[in-house]
Amino acid sequence: MNPPGSLEALDPNVDEHLSTQILAPSVHSDNSQERIQARRLRIAARLEARRREALGEYLDGKKESEEDQSKSYKQKEESRLKLAKLLLCGTELVTNIQVAIDIREIHRRVEEEEIKRQRIEKLENEVKTSQDKFDEITSKWEEGKQKRIPQELWEMLNTQQLHCAGLLEDKNKLISELQQELKTKDDQYVKDLKKQSDDICLLLERMEEQVKNVMKTFREELYNIEKAFEVERQELLASNKKKWEQALQAHNAKELEYLINRMKKVEDYEKQLNKQRIWDCEEYNMIKIKLEQDVQILEQQLQQRKAIYQLNQEKLEYNLQVLKKRDEESTVIKSQQKRKINRLHDILNNLRSKYAKQIKQFQEENQSLTSDYKRLVMQFKELQKAMRHFAVIDDEKFREIWLMNEEEAKDLIARAFDVDRIIHTHHLGLPWAAPDFWFLNNVGPISRQPQKSATQIVEEMLMRTEEEEAEEATSEPESYLDLPKQISEKTTKRILMLLCDESGFLIESKLLSLLLPLEQNECYLLRLDAIFSALGIESEDDLYKLVNFFLKYRAHRLSSSLQIKPCSQVSMEKVSMEKASMEETSMGSELELAEQTEMEGEKEESLVEGKKEEEEKTPPSPWVIHPNDVLKILEAFVMGLKKPRDSWAPLRVQKNVRDNSKDSEYWQALTTVIPSSKQNLWDALYTALEKYHLVLTQRAKLLLENSSLEQQNTELQALLQQYLNSKINSELQVPPTQVLRVPTK
Amino acid sequence: MQDTVTTSALLDPSHSSVSTQDKSSTGGHTSSTGPQLSKPSVTPVPAKSRNPHPGANFRRMRRIIAEDPEWSLAIVPLLTELCIQHIIRNFHKNPILKQMLPEHQQRVLNHLPPDLPLAVTANLIDSENYWLRCCMHRWPVCHVAHHGGSWKRMFFERYLENLLKHFIPGTTDPAVILDLLPLCRNYVRRVHVDQFLPPVQLPAQLRPGDQSDSGSEGEMEEPTVDHYQLGDLVAGLSHLEELDLVYDVKDCGMNFEWNLFLFTYRDCHSLAAAIKACHTLKIFKLTRSKVDDDKARIIIRSLLDHPVLEELDLSQNLIGDRGARGAAKLLSHSRLRVLNLANNQVRAPGAQSLAHALAHNTNLISLNLRLNCIEDEGGQALAHALQTNKCLTTLHLGGNELSEPTATLLSQVLAINTTLTSINLSCNHIGLDGGKQLLEGMSDNKTLLEFDLRLSDVAQESEYLIGQALYANREAARQRALNPSHFMSTITTNGPENSVG
Repeated sequence: MNPPGSLEALDPNVDEHLSTQILAPSVHSDNSQERIQARRLRIAARLEARRREALGEYLDGKKESEEDQSKSYKQKEESRLKLAKLLLCGTELVTNIQVAIDIREIHRRVEEEEIKRQRIEKLENEVKTSQDKFDEITSKWEEGKQKRIPQELWEMLNTQQLHCAGLLEDKNKLISELQQELKTKDDQYVKDLKKQSDDICLLLERMEEQVKNVMKTFREELYNIEKAFEVERQELLASNKKKWEQALQAHNAKELEYLINRMKKVEDYEKQLNKQRIWDCEEYNMIKIKLEQDVQILEQQLQQRKAIYQLNQEKLEYNLQVLKKRDEESTVIKSQQKRKINRLHDILNNLRSKYAKQIKQFQEENQSLTSDYKRLVMQFKELQKAMRHFAVIDDEKFREIWLMNEEEAKDLIARAFDVDRIIHTHHLGLPWAAPDFWFLNNVGPISRQPQKSATQIVEEMLMRTEEEEAEEATSEPESYLDLPKQISEKTTKRILMLLCDESGFLIESKLLSLLLPLEQNECYLLRLDAIFSALGIESEDDLYKLVNFFLKYRAHRLSSSLQIKPCSQVSMEKVSMEKASMEETSMGSELELAEQTEMEGEKEESLVEGKKEEEEKTPPSPWVIHPNDVLKILEAFVMGLKKPRDSWAPLRVQKNVRDNSKDSEYWQALTTVIPSSKQNLWDALYTALEKYHLVLTQRAKLLLENSSLEQQNTELQALLQQYLNSKINSELQVPPTQVLRVPTK
Repeated sequence: MQDTVTTSALLDPSHSSVSTQDKSSTGGHTSSTGPQLSKPSVTPVPAKSRNPHPGANFRRMRRIIAEDPEWSLAIVPLLTELCIQHIIRNFHKNPILKQMLPEHQQRVLNHLPPDLPLAVTANLIDSENYWLRCCMHRWPVCHVAHHGGSWKRMFFERYLENLLKHFIPGTTDPAVILDLLPLCRNYVRRVHVDQFLPPVQLPAQLRPGDQSDSGSEGEMEEPTVDHYQLGDLVAGLSHLEELDLVYDVKDCGMNFEWNLFLFTYRDCHSLAAAIKACHTLKIFKLTRSKVDDDKARIIIRSLLDHPVLEELDLSQNLIGDRGARGAAKLLSHSRLRVLNLANNQVRAPGAQSLAHALAHNTNLISLNLRLNCIEDEGGQALAHALQTNKCLTTLHLGGNELSEPTATLLSQVLAINTTLTSINLSCNHIGLDGGKQLLEGMSDNKTLLEFDLRLSDVAQESEYLIGQALYANREAARQRALNPSHFMSTITTNGPENSVG
């Protein structure tokens, strides 16, 4: 409003500001502490400002705001307040009309209601009175009908007419009243209309006025605000200018100060430079002298070096000569070598070609040989086939012939035995026992006993061991059967049990579940069966091989542990296989050894074995097969088993060659069924019987004679009788004289 | 001259030098003539060789050029210019607009006459500029702000309004409006009609005909005074949001008859069906139309459960307590935000039912019951409702015969309520004590911004003090609006100061 005054008022403020600025810590100061301080102050100032703003500047904060806020802000605030008031008052002024009309309308309505109520009341009263009158009139009509005298009737009619007229007049009066009211209402309506139009005019006027007013004040306030801003800007400009000038002055002063400082420094430096120069000069001279001396010494040395150089040069020249000559020589040698190399290359090429040729040749040869080989193999196979065929046929024939012969022999033998028996029983009176020879029961060609399957053996063995356990110590050597060749049954069983326990994985899980309820032995049996089928063990031999293998392995380990033979398992196995064929005896001992040790483990010592044990001191038992080794052994065994299976055909052929060593024996035996003693007996008997026969025949002759004599006798007797009995006799009888007459006849 | 124009117009479309012509024309047909002189004189030469017919003309033309020193090609309008003029001239027959370049479109739009048939322009032209010209052409005063700032919308809305205003059932062809429907359906959002003409009743000729048609009914006037049925129109307008209707006749002058101003039951039923079918309607106003209780109930029933309706204005009618009860039901069955029942005949029971609905309403923002007669019973009921309501911001109870009991209850409400910003109690009989109690209530309130107590027998002093408190509240609200971040702090800091002031 009054710029000069305010400017003046502001001036000390500005000064104060400047001084505080100079004194206060600056953000751009070199000191970090000071900078931090400055920032803190700034933040505090901001917070303060915000708080003040928040407090609001329209109430008691006005004083603060007057100090703090700028003039324009004040102006703005003032204008805003003024304008708000103006708007509020203006709208109130305008709406006052509406409110006034509203209240007038309310009053009108109230009055209207009152009047309406009165009117209705009045009308109702009127209706009541008129009804009464009407009733009176209608009752009088009845009276009139009774009147007989015309005058009276006329009179009555007149009164009736009068009454009716009165009624009508009442009604008319009411109607006119209402019409009057209507008219007044119409007037009122017109008045109201006029008034309302007036009101509307007033409203419009006020609105217009309000608009004008508002526009005007808005303009004014805008102008004021702009002016305030202008003034503020001016002030700001002035203050900033002042600040600028002060800063400039300060800057100038500082500049001057710096200049003086600089001058002083320049002088100082100049002095120092001079000192330095003098000192440098002295030093320079000293160094120069020293260096000159050095140069002289070096020149002397140079001379010496030069002399040495001369000498060396000569030496080197001589060397060069020598080297050149050597070089020439070497070139000669080189050319020779080159020639040699060429020659050798030629030879090499020739050899190569030859080599290639030979390779080709050999390849061809190889091919032809392989084809030959193939052909031969084919032939061989065919031959084998034929051979097998013939072998079978031969076998058959052999068997048939054998059987035939045997039958014949048997018949003969039977007859011989019959005879023998008859002789014994009838002639010698001795009891006869039929001789029991093994060959007598033999039918067909002698062959090895049919091989039992592995499982059967195991079964047998198990059964037997069971029995043995029952019988315990009385282990008869016969019961060992012929099979466990050098291997005790218990060992075998033990090994098999071990196998059974360790290689459960070879058995199907289904089978295992089925096995659970079975007896231990049966269980083992079935398990072993499964394991054998898995391992491919079919025959008795295989089983024994397996057992042997285990024992061998053990022995081998034993030996290896003693001798430390570095050999792989497979090779060891091979070796052991070979050994098996070669050194059966040693094997036997080894097995025996194993058996013994086992027995020792069982603590069942038979006397004999005990002795043996004493004889051979066995090493402490590292031989016991560790269950973990079982799998390794099995693996090795299966590997080993495969090989013999591979070479199947030759094995077959070998098998077919039956040994006829026993044949002759057999047949010999057959012939000597009746021993020579018996034959002697028979010869003696024969001779005796011959003699006996002779006697008997003599006796027979004698008997015959006797009998014939007897017969003659009897015949003679009969004849005599006849003669005696004849009538002639009787006739002749009486006297002896008659008898004498007869013979005369 | 004429020859040259025609030849060039004939020639140029025949060969394809249109593009070069276009460029030259857009480059500067008003500025320097130098380059233009050379260019057109060169281009016709190859054209001559192509079609020998106009060649003769050319030779003549060239001779003219040579002889007439003042002749200049700059005078000849460019082809694009000519085309544009032609298009403008024949726009009603062959409207070409979208196919042109934007700048040409602009020029065509700038020169189109504003009285083109709507069937051509309605869906083709979107340019506000054109529709501005159309509006200015038709009406001297245009408040585009009333029509969402869109001139096109304004044009169609006012055009439709005009048609509806002057529609006379029975004589005007309904096709007039229905033909317009496909053209304006996408642009009209608001229909504001402040008069509906009744059918013309020619005393002698029409009445017997009508009577013969309708048979011998007792009320012979009823069927004849029905107004235009809005059903088809409302169903056709797909974006209609506001419907502002007054069943009234303006400027009847000395032809006044009471039955000019009848809002019949058939009108009411058809209107109800129309607004029920219109699911986009947000604002519905039916004022000064003699809507009584029954009609109000018919309309309100059709509005129950309306999906988007926000404002209902039934002011200046004859609605009584039953209508108010209907409105109360509508409050609880819709999303109504503004309800205006000013200048009706609502009394205490109606106000009580409204208060009952208001007590648990969460949508209504503004309630206007000006110039009714709810009296203290209704006022107390409303005050009770406001103790639980958390939504209403504006309440107008001016001219309702309220007195001190209502004021005491309202003062309690003022102490509790924090949503009300405006209360109007003008033209009541609050009295001196009531005013004091209101002042007490005001001292605890921090949100009320307007409180009208004019002509309500309140002492000047208390009115002034209330005004001070309102002023403080307004300032606080302004502060809050200015820096919402310090909202809480201002509240706390201003608290004690206000009580002091």
